[in-house]
Amino acid sequence: MAVMTHAEALVEAIRECMDEDPNVALVWGSLMGVGGNNEHVDHIKADFADRIFHPPISEAAIAAVATGAAMDGVRTIFPMGTASFMFRAWDQIIHEAGAAHYMSNGAVSIPVVFHVVHGLRGGGSVQHSQSPQSMLWNAPGIEIAMPSCPADAKGLMRTAIKSNNPTVFIDHQKLNKRSSEVPDGSYDIPFGVADIKREGGDVTIVAASLQVVHALEAAETLSTGGIEVEIVDLRSLVPLDEEAILASVGKTGRLLVVDEAPPRCSVASEVIATVAEKGMDLLKTPPVRVNRLPVHVPANVVLEDYVGPNTDRIIEAAKLLCH
Amino acid sequence: MDKGRLLDIFRHMMLIRRFEEAVYDFHEQKLFGGHYHLYIGQEATGAAVMASLRGEDRIFSTHRNHGHLIARGVDPKNALAEILNRADGTNGGRGGTFHLADASAGMPHTSALVGGSVPLAAGAGFAAKLQKSGGIGVSMFGDGCFEEGVVFETLNLARMWALPVIFVCENNTPGAVLKSAGGNNTSNLPEGRVIQIPEALGMECHEVDGGDAEAVDSLFADCATRVRETGQPIFIEALTERWPGNYFSFPSRVTGITQVSMAWDGSSIAGEYEDWFRNHDPVLRFARQLLDRGVANSGDVAGIDVEVTETIEAAKEFALSSPVPGTDSVYAHVLAGEG
Ligand SMILES: Cc1ncc(C[n+]2csc(CCOP(=O)(O)OP(=O)(O)O)c2C)c(N)n1
Ligand SMILES: [Mg+2]
Repeated sequence: MAVMTHAEALVEAIRECMDEDPNVALVWGSLMGVGGNNEHVDHIKADFADRIFHPPISEAAIAAVATGAAMDGVRTIFPMGTASFMFRAWDQIIHEAGAAHYMSNGAVSIPVVFHVVHGLRGGGSVQHSQSPQSMLWNAPGIEIAMPSCPADAKGLMRTAIKSNNPTVFIDHQKLNKRSSEVPDGSYDIPFGVADIKREGGDVTIVAASLQVVHALEAAETLSTGGIEVEIVDLRSLVPLDEEAILASVGKTGRLLVVDEAPPRCSVASEVIATVAEKGMDLLKTPPVRVNRLPVHVPANVVLEDYVGPNTDRIIEAAKLLCH
Repeated sequence: MDKGRLLDIFRHMMLIRRFEEAVYDFHEQKLFGGHYHLYIGQEATGAAVMASLRGEDRIFSTHRNHGHLIARGVDPKNALAEILNRADGTNGGRGGTFHLADASAGMPHTSALVGGSVPLAAGAGFAAKLQKSGGIGVSMFGDGCFEEGVVFETLNLARMWALPVIFVCENNTPGAVLKSAGGNNTSNLPEGRVIQIPEALGMECHEVDGGDAEAVDSLFADCATRVRETGQPIFIEALTERWPGNYFSFPSRVTGITQVSMAWDGSSIAGEYEDWFRNHDPVLRFARQLLDRGVANSGDVAGIDVEVTETIEAAKEFALSSPVPGTDSVYAHVLAGEG
């Protein structure tokens, strides 16, 4: 086990996949912000110069070029930076990448990875703080990965690159520099397998990405107050591990879902709808969602913190749910 | 030669410089977080463009907007308060450095998405044409915008629909470190110049030294008059030497606090950035021009500096004492009320 940052774990996964498969190509703006003194960055730069493309500020065109190349088996990783920028390429991601397999009656597949960094970053204001996960989830044909820690980031990135589907890989501004242990060697983490990040019998918190970190913090505090939280880290939204969610709710009878997108039609809405359809009888009490408030993200960090889901709001909601 | 006009342009340039130096200090002091962009090195373009604009004109800026607002006459107090995300800011603290805008000054919205503001400015031209307001739309934007498709679409549209718009591309790429080499973003046209794109659409196009305030002023004044008369769009490429502090993704005040005396006292200029001080810094260049032409003497120039420095000191105090907006305010203005 080595301790590394979230971003370093991703770069390691990319390096391994580029080593393994000559069809993996990389659009290199700033590779997950990992610079200087990184052996994987150096290796990628030195050994794969012919598979690296420096991007102009052309999200739409690059997304579609990567999609077109995917039709011939080139697996392009396109880090688009701030998730807000991917809106420029919405049409290409939804209508071309996400639809070509279906439209070709299965003849064509689109192995492409769009990597974005979502969420409240501390002063990103309205146009640099988007959380596109639920909007994307509303479009068929796209896999969505949302890791919460370096070890998952690495295994999920490997799966994203090898997948024959377009994957939007959603990271968080505040996860990039967090570090923790990552298993040695190459390993894949399949999509659609949630991970129980903490076991507990009183309330289930379903979350992904940074909200898992917030949920873990909240769980510590709640535990001292006698509430034991079980945390289901979704890891991927598409496919969704319904079984893990239902199993946990079956155990606790209480459900809280945390998500950074605003509440209407969010990840939280969808998870709760799923439980309502398939596990209504498991619930002891109505489920609760903790989302970003249904407003734009103001520049002021005090206000930003107020509109976002945070540890305090999770604690408050869990207490209400349990009493 | 209109001395008053030239001095007014210089005053605005000096005001922008002192403003941006204050913004840099605020960021160093962690009074606001995140990414930000300074207009240092491009003051001549913004100040000279605004000199020909009227109340009914609309101006749209970018992530690098501070100088445009100051040149337009927005009070530095409110601009600085916005950068600190305070209640008295131009946007009530919700926009921040990326989005300074002031509808009452004819700058209704600032997009920080590359190319985002360019079609909005054409929209202002569209409205002016429809409403016969006599105003024009002005788009101030960076060369990187040409990499985004929407900019081409807008130029084409402005030609097709004959919209009264001036597109001012501030090309700060010359001399910049390419992004691929670890530097800041720059335009990546493989060959030639961005001006060839609007030229191909048959638009009237000009290029100008964006560091020469007088040159920008005379060109822009002429263009503004013509756009008002003909209603046809014009494109201007203002070529600007990039401020060395702008080479990397966060500004770095490598050239120190501007010593305006360098304009008349060359003996104080030395070191790594000598070329910048002698040949490129637009504030010093224009100060020298004013001295050479007898528009002002060194005392006048120093006096303007003292005056604008006082204005910025007062603005700093104002911004620092402006309150943080109340948390309940986040719900306001998601949707407009009845029309
Ligand atoms: C759609 C979009 N993609 C990427 C970015 C990130 N970004 C911010 S500024 C910038 C470079 C802009 O260059 P230019 O337009 O020349 O302006 P300059 O900063 O040089 O003044 C980039 C790529 C963005 N803001 N919006
Ligand atoms: Mg530029």
